[in-house]
Amino acid sequence: MNRDWKNLFPSRRMIFLGSGGVVFLGLTARLAELQLFRQAEFETKAREVRIKLEPAPPHRGTIYDRGGRVLAGSKRNFYVTIRPEVAGKSREEISRVIDRVGRLLRLSDSKMRTLLQDATTPPAHRDILVADDLTWEEFAQVNVMAPELSGVSAEVGELRSYPLQAAFYHTIGYVQKANEADIQAKIKAELEAAGEALDSEAGKTRATTIRRLYKHPAMRVGKQGIEAYGEMQLKGDPGKIRLLQNATGRVIDRLPSDDIQGKPGADVVLSIDAELQNFAIQRFGADAGSAVMIDVHTGEVVCMMSTPAPDPNLFVSGIAAGPYKALREDERNPLYHKAYDGVYPPGSTFKIVVAAAALESGAMKPEDTVHCSGKAWYYNRFYNCYKTEGHGTVNLHTGIQKSCDCYFYRAAEKTGIEAIASVAHRFGLGHRYALGLTGGKAGSVPNDAWKRKAVGEQWYAGDTISAGIGQGYVTATPFQLAYMCARIAGGGNTPNPHLIVSGIDVPDYEIEPMGQFKPGVLEAVRAGMFAVTSEPGGTAIRFGALDEKNELPAPYTGARMAGKSGTAQVIDLSGRRDARGKAISNDKLPWRLRDHALFVAFAPADKPRYAVAVVIEHGVSGSSAAAPVARDLLAHALKTDPGSRKPFVPHVSTIAANEAGKA
Amino acid sequence: MAMMIRKDTLLYKLTQLHWFLLLTIIALAMFGSLILFSAGSSAHDLETGNLKIDASYAIAHIWRFVLMLGVALVVALLPLRLWASLAYPAYFIGVLLLLGVELMGNIVNGSQRWLTLGPLTLQPSELMKIAVPIALARYYHQMFAAGRNGLWVHLIALVMVLVPVAFVLKQPDLGTSLMILGTGCGVIFFAGISLRVVVVVIALVAFMTPVVYFFGLHDYQRERIHTMWDPDADPLGKGYQLQQGMIAVGSGGLAGKGFMEGAQKELEYIPEQHTDFIFTIVAEEFGFAGSVVLLLAWGTAIFQGMMVAGHSRSAFGSLAASGFISTLLLYVGINIGMVIGLLPVVGIPLPLISYGGTAIVTVMIGFGLLMAVHLNRANDMTLRGLF
Repeated sequence: MNRDWKNLFPSRRMIFLGSGGVVFLGLTARLAELQLFRQAEFETKAREVRIKLEPAPPHRGTIYDRGGRVLAGSKRNFYVTIRPEVAGKSREEISRVIDRVGRLLRLSDSKMRTLLQDATTPPAHRDILVADDLTWEEFAQVNVMAPELSGVSAEVGELRSYPLQAAFYHTIGYVQKANEADIQAKIKAELEAAGEALDSEAGKTRATTIRRLYKHPAMRVGKQGIEAYGEMQLKGDPGKIRLLQNATGRVIDRLPSDDIQGKPGADVVLSIDAELQNFAIQRFGADAGSAVMIDVHTGEVVCMMSTPAPDPNLFVSGIAAGPYKALREDERNPLYHKAYDGVYPPGSTFKIVVAAAALESGAMKPEDTVHCSGKAWYYNRFYNCYKTEGHGTVNLHTGIQKSCDCYFYRAAEKTGIEAIASVAHRFGLGHRYALGLTGGKAGSVPNDAWKRKAVGEQWYAGDTISAGIGQGYVTATPFQLAYMCARIAGGGNTPNPHLIVSGIDVPDYEIEPMGQFKPGVLEAVRAGMFAVTSEPGGTAIRFGALDEKNELPAPYTGARMAGKSGTAQVIDLSGRRDARGKAISNDKLPWRLRDHALFVAFAPADKPRYAVAVVIEHGVSGSSAAAPVARDLLAHALKTDPGSRKPFVPHVSTIAANEAGKA
Repeated sequence: MAMMIRKDTLLYKLTQLHWFLLLTIIALAMFGSLILFSAGSSAHDLETGNLKIDASYAIAHIWRFVLMLGVALVVALLPLRLWASLAYPAYFIGVLLLLGVELMGNIVNGSQRWLTLGPLTLQPSELMKIAVPIALARYYHQMFAAGRNGLWVHLIALVMVLVPVAFVLKQPDLGTSLMILGTGCGVIFFAGISLRVVVVVIALVAFMTPVVYFFGLHDYQRERIHTMWDPDADPLGKGYQLQQGMIAVGSGGLAGKGFMEGAQKELEYIPEQHTDFIFTIVAEEFGFAGSVVLLLAWGTAIFQGMMVAGHSRSAFGSLAASGFISTLLLYVGINIGMVIGLLPVVGIPLPLISYGGTAIVTVMIGFGLLMAVHLNRANDMTLRGLF
């Protein structure tokens, strides 16, 4: 052992510990300088010039009708935001700023209260939307006043607009500011689409990006209809901009070199013809109801309307509670998509299903007759025909033509519910069609299994009798009735229905093909429907002609429509008897208790091209209220022939270039 | 105390561990996971305004620490002689691996540091932080035993240091090469090199620094040093991290903003905040008081380590311990010094606090050795018979 070294070590240790002490003292001194003596300076700096990485909302895809008319587009939006941490430290300071900007923009007191509530809830370092869709004058005023309104900035962006207003409210839906539930749902959907787990690194980043984007004051989310269904495609990919902010939060400069370009959302083209849609809405006038028209050759939905409807533009910047409540409580249900979500008993329109089922199953031959005396006795009770004096002897053809209930009681009894349900499914009832919008109902095609599940009871023989005339458990949406009519008119090769031509992929995996009927079955049904409008004694004989003056070009010259009326009871008949037990006529009932009027039709009767279903709520009579509307819609469709024109193809590249130029 | 425990059992050895040092280390690591918990979490999240909790960094940190604590205890309880016998092989394997990195290393962050051997990725420069001091300690131990202590002995030691330093510098990894150089010089200093030589060397370094700055460094290294002196020159570029870090530290004040209340971290202003810049969270959320407590804890660990080095009867033990303590002082001094703008940003983590695997491995093996030196302090160890 080296003794010299051993003696040397303690002094070396002292030197080392001494210099270590100097290092630690130096660090402590520097910390004291920064944290004790210069704290105020750094605290200011912490709120001073900072770089803000802001997501830039992408351009939302435009929705066009088949002719290229804009149904949902973007307009320039002047909006004003406030950043609470910059507006002030205390509630009073923030309140003062909100007060001033609120007076400038003439905001309501309740709006200002909500704003203050929002602005005083942490975190304070985010931009809160004060007002948008401002006029240029209001925007300029805020800009001029800006130096006195700390934390307030006036910005320019894009806002969704619906130029045709109410016409497409139900189908296209609307956009609104995203709430927490929307954000959660979008995060979930996008992570699923990307195949990333929420707790993975990539998943977290994606979730944060989505959250930031939807929190942006200029960003909206699709809440309903196509806007909601196609959110991911319509939205596009957000870009990012780097902004340099000063101590008051005002953006001093943009650092464009660091911009990350976003990608505009996909443009969507619908098969609907806006002109036909508008015509339908005008034709309905003050009536509430819906109409759906389908091109039999292509399966394209050329009209799908529900009326009345609110203006979706009201929702984009947030609708006030009062008007919204009024809309919700309106007995004409303006918020409801009657064509897609409304389920109605199909009434006598279902007789064409029963007729087809009777022939297909062999239970009846077309020439088999039934005697109608105005009522019929089944299973210990009478079933009435709507015509109390009876139709006399009827066969399948005259049964459809005159809509004789007794004939269809018998037909249903002989055919049986299972065979009827099978044909109803083949005609497309009981299926929720995926069209690319939210909502949608399947309706019900009852049979024994269905009733045990849905009602918890076995199927009684009497249920079949009611089903024979489309009452009881049978329900369908106007959309389904239109497509049913298209299948009857078009036969086994009718294409599946679709509403979206391009932009969003809408698969419908569960749709069942109709298959081929025995020869003569569909022909006999179509002949019966032709008789309804075109042979003496038909229930809608006055409304068969679509081109009385032979003005339409071939092949529509002198076209007639074929159809079937229906009347759906709103409540059980027993509820509509007066004190003496006498039935009250529809006209004397309050509006909301009257029967719904239905009509399904196709035209031209000999070479079907368009199939339509019209439902007028509480319209009382299918043959006199709904039939003329169906006639006018089909006549208009034949005149303008939207199905013959190829749907619009948007030029993606030019749109993207325009947006880039504007930004 | 029951005096029944026999002196050659494992249990006895456990009772003789340097418990004060051990508890200091555990306290530091627990404090580290607390800070890492805060790094992932936020009291008022920027996006939602709600409490946001993300303990993943903290939990991983604790697991890594527990695992390495086990390794450290194994190192401490095995005979010190074993580590002395492994010193040269470790050193030579380390140099060979550095050569391997040079020839076929993976490029990470623009520099070659990793060597991939099947499923393993090795960072030989980290190994050298331990291998250099123990190889030097063994070398000196044998030289002293042979009665040699001339200047040439120290010159050979210096060569042993400069070989790995040169390789690491070439990777290029300025931080680690400085650490190895500092550690090696520390050992040479403790081995008794003449103070006159030390003074001359320091003077020479002072003279050479500007020369190296202008001719010996990569552009990015020069830029880092430059931005330290003038972080405002380029607030969006290279000085950005440092400036935002100093804003976090300075705005912390005396008592800090409170646990999980740091504002700078939420805006993701500070890159690498959970690794090299972890001290900014300590300073922002616990203020000057918390920072000083952390410095005191590290001071305690270093002081205790120096005491262990002094009490060892063997030169190997003393010098290995002193070398490791030099490493620790460099880690803490350089990391905190760079975060608060006293030193250039060189990419050195704060051991036991920063998130990440390599530094904790090095440091915990070092602490294991330190405790082994403590357990074997009465043994003057003849190293004869080792190869």
